[in-house]
Amino acid sequence: MASLLQPNRVVYLVCGEKKIRSPLSQLYFCRYCSELRSLECVSHEVDSHYCPSCLENMPSAEAKLKKNRCANCFDCPCCMHTLSTRATNIPAPLPDDPTKTAMKKAYYLACGFCRWTSRDVGMADKSVASGGWQEPENPHTQRINKLIEYYQQLAQRERQERDRKKLARKRQCMPLAFSQHTIHVVEKYGLGTRLQRQRSGAPISSLAGLSLKEGEDQKEINIEPAQALDEVEPLPEDCYTRPISLPEVTTLRQRLLQPDFQPAGASQLHPKHKHLLMKRSLRCRKCEHNLSKPEFNPTSIKFKIQLVAVSYIPEVRIMSIPNLRYMKESQVLLTLTNPVETITHVTLVACEEGDSDDINSTAKVIVPTKELVLAGKDAAAEYDELAEPQDFQDDPDVVAFRKSNKIGFFIKVIPQKEEDEDVTVSFKIRHDFRNLAAPIRPSEESAEAVPEAIWLTHHVELSLGPLAN
Amino acid sequence: MADKQNVQKSVKIAAGAVVCVESEIRGDVTIGARTVVHPKARIIAEAGPIVIGEGNLIEEQALIINSYPENIMPDSEGVEPKTMTIGINNVFEVGCVSQALKIGDNNVIESKADVGRNVILTSGCIIGAFCQVNTCEVIPENTVIYGSGCMRRVQTERPQPQTLQLDFLMKILPNYHHLKKTVKASQNTKN
Repeated sequence: MASLLQPNRVVYLVCGEKKIRSPLSQLYFCRYCSELRSLECVSHEVDSHYCPSCLENMPSAEAKLKKNRCANCFDCPCCMHTLSTRATNIPAPLPDDPTKTAMKKAYYLACGFCRWTSRDVGMADKSVASGGWQEPENPHTQRINKLIEYYQQLAQRERQERDRKKLARKRQCMPLAFSQHTIHVVEKYGLGTRLQRQRSGAPISSLAGLSLKEGEDQKEINIEPAQALDEVEPLPEDCYTRPISLPEVTTLRQRLLQPDFQPAGASQLHPKHKHLLMKRSLRCRKCEHNLSKPEFNPTSIKFKIQLVAVSYIPEVRIMSIPNLRYMKESQVLLTLTNPVETITHVTLVACEEGDSDDINSTAKVIVPTKELVLAGKDAAAEYDELAEPQDFQDDPDVVAFRKSNKIGFFIKVIPQKEEDEDVTVSFKIRHDFRNLAAPIRPSEESAEAVPEAIWLTHHVELSLGPLAN
Repeated sequence: MADKQNVQKSVKIAAGAVVCVESEIRGDVTIGARTVVHPKARIIAEAGPIVIGEGNLIEEQALIINSYPENIMPDSEGVEPKTMTIGINNVFEVGCVSQALKIGDNNVIESKADVGRNVILTSGCIIGAFCQVNTCEVIPENTVIYGSGCMRRVQTERPQPQTLQLDFLMKILPNYHHLKKTVKASQNTKN
């Protein structure tokens, strides 16, 4: 049954700042700390920006200038799909001879999903395929820019004062100490993360620049306060009596996607440039190593660094569930897959009474007591006919089947609650992990290159579905 | 009364229409000129005749069916056979199901859409892909129904008739498929 393979059926517990339960496919494994990490215990850094439809790459500075929007692609204001440019032939007078007409190509934007066209809002057809389309100007742009400048200056001043205070306190330490603090702090008003990419050892230009900046920014930006108006435009007289034509009214979503204008009528919905997406890299917060680093090219889905949990931690999956009855013991078949190429030994331990992690289970579980041995993942095994089948003495009561790096085993489940909710069981899985990344200590027997195994324990929760009636 | 039941159970295909042999056409169906019916399309006139106009494009696995409403048994008395009329220049895309009794001109029913019996499509309507329209209403002109929530909007111009596609198909399909025989419109068919 495909529903047993749904990711949320088997969740692993991540002990970070918060306890997070998440399927293994969505977790990362820091092999320097030897711990599972979820998306919430890592820091996210933006690598690059790209447009999802034309896949054009853009450095962060340029993206900021263009307000994180692509220059070529447009979004349909009606259904937010990507607009495509279509061409028609229209007769147009030749520039030389006004009496003769020739066919010229005229381009307009059209949406393939909701059939919106740029002619619907009155935008004239353009004679060039791209680059001719302009977004309408916001009448308040100047005032907004002035306000942004003023507040940026204010934020800069505040930060300088804060840095100066910290520096005064830690005068003995290296100046690097205070810049470490600001790596993870998001800057106010988006001035840019110029401190973020600083590597240790490099001279800090910001310190030297502090005194310079004070001299530069002598020019103060003054803004006039906003003026409150007493009179408001009155509502039109037929506001309550005029019948509404629903196709003419914009939905809230369409309106709020254009915060500059927020048009109430569908005939004023102009297309906006497409939003850029970003590629991000993840970094463990404790040891500052990269957990996930994608390639720079937007067309490539590969990773330069990919420390995902499924390639290090054995994965538990549900294979088949019998009918579960209240207070009756049933056998559930689970599979355990070994992702690494060495033999892994796995022990399952049921959760004890009063275990603080065990809050969701609604059934008692009896796990096999013996240690389960998983063969290593051998990519060539399926092609190698003559390979000797490895001889593991499997107890047929515990191990149902064994197939290369996967085994199927039974656990006994006794549902304890008669309510309608899903039967949930949890247990701890303890396996040995060989850290191939850590430097091997040179020992006297230098021939031994096998890194030492450490034992990791994870808390696993399974959701087995409702009780059978 | 018995006479009416025996009238014209055959398919009348006008000259100039391209109807592939692999399509399934049952009952009293009239197909206009310049209409293209792809293989595996199904036009079934159970509860009454179907009249299809000119220049229509009926793609594969489309189902145009004039069936009995659900709560009426086929053999009960007093059931008047209603004619299903389809206008000109309509497009029935792949896999759509149309039971609407009255369809105007220049409509497009996109792939896997489902149009119920009590819907009347006027002109220029576009029923989006996988949209199920089974209300009891007349869809105004130039309406577009799209999206999983069957959102609606009105477009300013009607969809263009697919003349290029029709010409292309009328040239190419006879190269690869046998066609059903056409009947001259002036001639009366005798069963």
